Amino acid sequence: MTESNVALVAHLMRRAGFGATRSQLEEYVDKGYHATVDELLHPVDPQRMPDEMIRRYHAEQSGMMGQNSPGAYWLYRMISTTAPLHEKIALFWHSVFATGYTKITQGKVLIDQIRMFRRYGLGSFRELLVELSKDPAMIIWLDNQDNHNGSINENYGRELLELFSMGVGNYTEQDVKECARSFTGWTIANTEYMELRARRDSIWPYGRIAWHFEYREEDHDDGEKTFLGETGRFNGEDIIDIICRQPATARFISRHLYHFFVADEPPVPQWPYTPPRDPAAIETLSRVYFDSSYSISAMLEALFKSEWFQSKETWFEKVKSPAELVASVLRLTGEFERPRREILDTAMHIVYMGQHLINPPSVEGWHQGVEWIDTGTLVERVNFASKHLGNLDAPGVRAIVERIKSQLGPMISPERLVDGCLDQMGAISVSPESRNVLIQFASEQGDLTVDGPDANGHVDRRVTDTMQVIAATHEFQRA
Amino acid sequence: MSATRAETAFLSYQRTIGLSTMEGRGFYYPADTAIGADEKLYVVSRSLEGDARGVRVTVCNPDSEYFGTFASSGEEDGQLIWPTAIDIDPDGRVFITDEYTNRISIFDTSGDFRSAWGVSGTEEGQLDGPSGLVLDGDNNVYVADHQNHRIQKFTSDGQFLLAFGSRGDGEGQLNLPWGMTIDGQGDLYVADWRNDRIQKFAPEGRFLATYGSPGRGDGQFHRPASVAVDPEGYMYVADWGNERVQVLDPSGAFVTKLRGEATDSVWALDFLRINVEEAEARARANLEPKMDFFDDDPHDESSHIEKYFWAPVSVKLDSAGRLYVTESNRHRIQIYQRG
Repeated sequence: MTESNVALVAHLMRRAGFGATRSQLEEYVDKGYHATVDELLHPVDPQRMPDEMIRRYHAEQSGMMGQNSPGAYWLYRMISTTAPLHEKIALFWHSVFATGYTKITQGKVLIDQIRMFRRYGLGSFRELLVELSKDPAMIIWLDNQDNHNGSINENYGRELLELFSMGVGNYTEQDVKECARSFTGWTIANTEYMELRARRDSIWPYGRIAWHFEYREEDHDDGEKTFLGETGRFNGEDIIDIICRQPATARFISRHLYHFFVADEPPVPQWPYTPPRDPAAIETLSRVYFDSSYSISAMLEALFKSEWFQSKETWFEKVKSPAELVASVLRLTGEFERPRREILDTAMHIVYMGQHLINPPSVEGWHQGVEWIDTGTLVERVNFASKHLGNLDAPGVRAIVERIKSQLGPMISPERLVDGCLDQMGAISVSPESRNVLIQFASEQGDLTVDGPDANGHVDRRVTDTMQVIAATHEFQRA
Repeated sequence: MSATRAETAFLSYQRTIGLSTMEGRGFYYPADTAIGADEKLYVVSRSLEGDARGVRVTVCNPDSEYFGTFASSGEEDGQLIWPTAIDIDPDGRVFITDEYTNRISIFDTSGDFRSAWGVSGTEEGQLDGPSGLVLDGDNNVYVADHQNHRIQKFTSDGQFLLAFGSRGDGEGQLNLPWGMTIDGQGDLYVADWRNDRIQKFAPEGRFLATYGSPGRGDGQFHRPASVAVDPEGYMYVADWGNERVQVLDPSGAFVTKLRGEATDSVWALDFLRINVEEAEARARANLEPKMDFFDDDPHDESSHIEKYFWAPVSVKLDSAGRLYVTESNRHRIQIYQRG
C-alpha cells in the first residue's frame, strides 16, 4: 500500500461519499481503486441506521409534518450508510431538480422525492425523468396540477427543458408549449384537497396525508404536437424520449455531473455563454451517456476512473456543501452511533451554513462552489467542525487520538503531530503553506510527550487542538 | 378460536378521539395513554423536537370531553423532553418516563408535579433510556431500561428492587424493550422491540414464555411497541413496525389483526365545521386510494391512507373491554370494543 494510493482513494471518497477514516481508506486501497469505484456504484448489502430505529426516537422524523425533520433524517443516512454514493447522488439530483418546502408544506412528500432520487438516480436518465414528472412534490412545486387540456400551464414543461435536461438555447417557445401539452393530465390524486391543505399548511385533523401521482386521461391533450422537430400525438413519456435523444441533454447532464463531482463550473444560467472548464471531459461523458442508453452510473464510472478526475489538480478544489461538510465531520467523530436528540440541532447547522435541505432557495437550487463561503458561513463552518473534532467523548475523535498516541509516541514532534492528524482525519494532503501554519501552531508547545499518565488530559487536548486548527484549513473545508 | 371468526367478531371499531394540535385540546405525536378513574384518559404527547410547545399530558375521556393539560417541555421539575410511557396508580399518581433525561416524573391527576427520580447509568438502579413503564398491584414500578436491555423494578419513590434481562435474543434476553403490561397474576409482558416478540416474565423476573417471531405474517411481529392483556389472557400487541394491532390467544396463537379504521373524531368534526372549505374538499376526496408502493413497508401505505394506523405506539385496555390504540403519527386514539 502506498501513501499515494491512500491519498487518491481519499479523494474519491470525498467526492463520491462524505470522506472516510484512515482505517476505512486502507480497506478501500486493499480492494483497489477501480474495485472501490465499482463497489460505490453497485454496493452489495449496504448497511445504515435502520429507518425504524430513527422513527422510534424521533416521532417527527416518522410523521414528517414540518420542514426540519427531513434534513435530520437524511443526515442520519449520510453519516451511517455504507453506500455513500446513494446519498451523494440524491444530494446531486436534489440540487438539480430543486423542490422546496415553502410551497409543498410537508416533509413526507419531499423525503419521498429524495427516496426516488436514491432509487433511480444512478440508473437510466430517461427513467429518472419519467419518475420526476410523476413525482407529487414536483407536480405541485411547478404547478402541473394546473396544466389542463385546453388550458396549459407551462411551468413544468419549461423547467423540464431549461433546468432539468437541455438548458436554454436548445428549444423554442413553441417547444415549451408542446411539452406542456404533452404533460396535461399528469397530476396528483385528490388535487383539490391536497392543494388546499398545502396552501393552508393544514395538519388537521390527523397530520399530513402523503401525495401520490394520478394520470387523468380525460384531462390529457391527445392531439398532435410538434416537439423539437418531431411530430406525433405525444404524451409525457414520448417527450422524455425525444429529450433524452438530444446531444444538448447529454452535454447538460455531463456538465452537471462534472460540476458536482469534479470541479466547479459557473452557475447554470451562465452555461450558454461560458464554455465548460474541460470540454474534452464533457465530450467523454456525453459519449458514455449515449453508449450506455443514458445510464448515470455508466457516466459516473467513466468519470471516477478518468485521469482528469484522479488528477491532483482537482483535489481540494471543490468547496464542500454544508451537508457534505457536516456529514464528513460526523462520519469522523462517530457521535451518532445510535439515535440521539442532538441530531436535530446538529442538522440545523447545515441550514445555518446556507443549505436548508428540502428547502432550496428556488427552482434553480443552490449556487455551489465558492458561493457557499461568505464571512458568516465560513465562521459557522469552522466553528462547527472545530467543536465536534474537539469532543473527546466522541468515539471517532477518541479513536484518532489513541491511534496517534500509540503509533507516533512517546515523543511526537510538531511536524509529526500535524502530519499524523492530517493522515488520521482522512489522508488530507495540505499545501506547504497550510502545513507550515499548522506546524507553527503545534510548535508553540514544543514536542508532545505521551509517555506516562495523562492525568489532566493535556496530551489528548494537544491532539484535538491540532485537529481543530486543521478544520479551519482550506483543504479541510474542501473536497 | 378460529381466525376467521375472530376477524369479524373479536374486536369491533367504536370511534376515534383526537386532533393534531400543538396546544390545548388535542394531541401532538402522542406516545402513550393511561386510563385513570372515571374513564379519564391521560395522553402524553412527545411533540416536535426543537419546539417547546406540544409536550404535554392531555386529559380527556372516550366521549371526547376535554379536561385540560399539564406538564411542559424542558428538563426542570414537571417538565419532559422525550416522554415515552405513562401509568397511574390507585392513589391518582401519574408516572411518566422520559428516555432523554432518564427520569421518572410523578404528577397528581390535577397536573401538579410531585416528584421525580432516576439516575443515568448502567449500574443496577441506574437508567439508560427508560421507555415502557407499568405499575404492579403493590404500586411498585417496572421500567423498561431499554438501552441497558433490561427491566428494572423500583418502589414508587424510586428505590431499586430488582433487575433482569440482558442484551441478546435468547429466552429471557432483551433487545431495546419498549412497552409493558401486567396480567391478573402479576406476570409481566414485555414488547421486546428489536427481537420482534413478546416475552412473559414472572414478577421476580423469571422467564415464562415468548410469543411471536420476526415478520409480517399472522402472528409475526415487526418491532412491537406495546402489549395489553385482558382478564382471559388474550394479548393485544401494537405491532408498530407492521402498522397494525394483533391479538393472540393465551397460548400465543394468532386470533385477529387490525389495520385501522379511524373516522372523524368529535374534535375533528368541530374543526371541519368551522373550516368549511377544507371540509367540502375533504368530503370530495378519496381517502382510501388504491396505489402501488415502492416496497412492502406499511409505513408508506399508512402515510397515504388516513384511516389506517400510523405508528401505533400504545395499546391499553379498560375495565369495559375497550381497546385504546394510540397512534403517534396520526395524533389520535382509535377505540375498539371486545366482542
